[in-house]
Amino acid sequence: MSANTVYIALFVYFILGSVIARQASRKLGGGVNEFFLAGRSLGGIVSALTYSATTYSAFMLVGLAGFTYIGGVGALGFELIYLSGLVLVAFFGPRFWLVGQRYNYLTPTEMLGDRYGSKAVAAVSAVAAVIFLIPYSAVQLIGIGALLEGISGGAIPYLAGVSIAAFIAVYWTWTGGLKAVAWTDSLQAAVMLVVAVLSVILIAYRGFGGFGGLFAGLEAEYPAWLTVPGPGFFNINTFVGLTLPWFFFSLSNPQVSQRLFVPRSLGQMRIMVMGFLVFGFIYTLVSILWGFSARLLIPELAVADNATPVLLGLNIVPAGVALLVMLGICAAAVSTVNSIILTLSSMICRDVFKSSRRPNDEKRELLVGKIFVPLFTVVIVAFATIRLDLIAALSVASSAGLLVMVPALIGAFFWKRGTAPAVLASVVVGGLAATFLQYSGLKPLGYWPGVWSGLIATVLFIGVSFFTRPPEKKAAEFIGYLHEELGRKKII
Amino acid sequence: MSLERQRLLWIIVFLVVVLSAFIVPFISFMSNMTKFYGAFLFWSIFALVVIVFLGMITARWKDDRDER
Repeated sequence: MSANTVYIALFVYFILGSVIARQASRKLGGGVNEFFLAGRSLGGIVSALTYSATTYSAFMLVGLAGFTYIGGVGALGFELIYLSGLVLVAFFGPRFWLVGQRYNYLTPTEMLGDRYGSKAVAAVSAVAAVIFLIPYSAVQLIGIGALLEGISGGAIPYLAGVSIAAFIAVYWTWTGGLKAVAWTDSLQAAVMLVVAVLSVILIAYRGFGGFGGLFAGLEAEYPAWLTVPGPGFFNINTFVGLTLPWFFFSLSNPQVSQRLFVPRSLGQMRIMVMGFLVFGFIYTLVSILWGFSARLLIPELAVADNATPVLLGLNIVPAGVALLVMLGICAAAVSTVNSIILTLSSMICRDVFKSSRRPNDEKRELLVGKIFVPLFTVVIVAFATIRLDLIAALSVASSAGLLVMVPALIGAFFWKRGTAPAVLASVVVGGLAATFLQYSGLKPLGYWPGVWSGLIATVLFIGVSFFTRPPEKKAAEFIGYLHEELGRKKII
Repeated sequence: MSLERQRLLWIIVFLVVVLSAFIVPFISFMSNMTKFYGAFLFWSIFALVVIVFLGMITARWKDDRDER
């Protein structure tokens, strides 16, 4: 594909998104709630689409397709168990939303700090999120840089691809905060899904005469790919190690859990959850079928992550469709990165800056948050440029590292005995353990870092709580309010 | 049934459903089933069951703003 064609497609995509972002920014109020939470007034469908676009990154059509290529159907189990993690939202969604309305929380970490009566809890949790999510975002940009470089035969330099994706992400975010992010995410989610579905139908029919032909080919040539452990990649330890941390994604990742504050009503939150589930189910199936198709059509690949770029280069995919798929993958990455940048900026302005300065200065607080939007982007681009081993390790460790927040979050809603020192111990020690295990490659007793970090954080949270003093008054008031409201609304 | 009992019931149901997604495809009868209707179909049905159950739980999510 010529570099000019790719540049023109990216330019059209940027202009279209910018028009939408500008439109979204009209009538935007000047407060932090407006900028970072879209005034807590998003409708269900836009919420569902932005939740989907934020959750699903370039990993799906590149990494997950690659997992399927080398490991077979286990990749489907991994991703659908991850989707089923939304059961946590069934219990925590209304609770987040209700306390968000009552106490005006901007970030999940602010909620933790207030609930446990400790500004240090909010600040440390926010810093932990920054440490794990910046490398995760850098890997998204690395993916785009490599994709554009590969698809143009090297004519688009790696750094140009990284910079273009970063510029698009920061421009839309800066233009109108979450409202612009949510509206552009909606466009991007639609592009991601429609293009992915169309292309997989095209590949199945042109390559195998239909989905029946695709599965018949697998059953005949790669039968092990339809089982676990199958070809060997998805043995039970790897499967549990990969899947367990991601099951808790809807709680552990702040760019997603912050979205629980955003819908304008509980009814709209329901539309968000159900819409996301349908989106996720279809998008997962498509990514898996994409990987299976690559297995049959291009069996000799040395690097599994190249399955998608190479598949796009085959002549069964028309050039126009390949271009749209490339845009869909860029959209998946940009929509994840800009949401993370926005969430991290809100955490810095609320949990680090506001905690340490005089309160009630909303203009200054917003200014700090907005300054961090381009600042974080520059850091992410820098990380994507230097491509250190540690960045890749931290990115992979992000799910295991953020998992350490989960015991504190569950405790906030269900356990009055939980304490601030226990949260600090579980987040700091658990986070360090996740990083160390991931970077060293150690798997004690054969278990993956996510299993250990989750275990360590849970034991520390419970253990330290028994030896320290809980915030009794706040815990009783917080949990008591929820008990009363949920009882009134008959929500479990 | 009280809300607490309903909550407990749903937690048990989801524990069983999610644990089955970790265990069943690795049990020998299914790990030898090299067909579309083996693990692929099992995990797809698992996800659909979760979606239907979540539809049932969230059916009550309403507040004053939804009733206006």
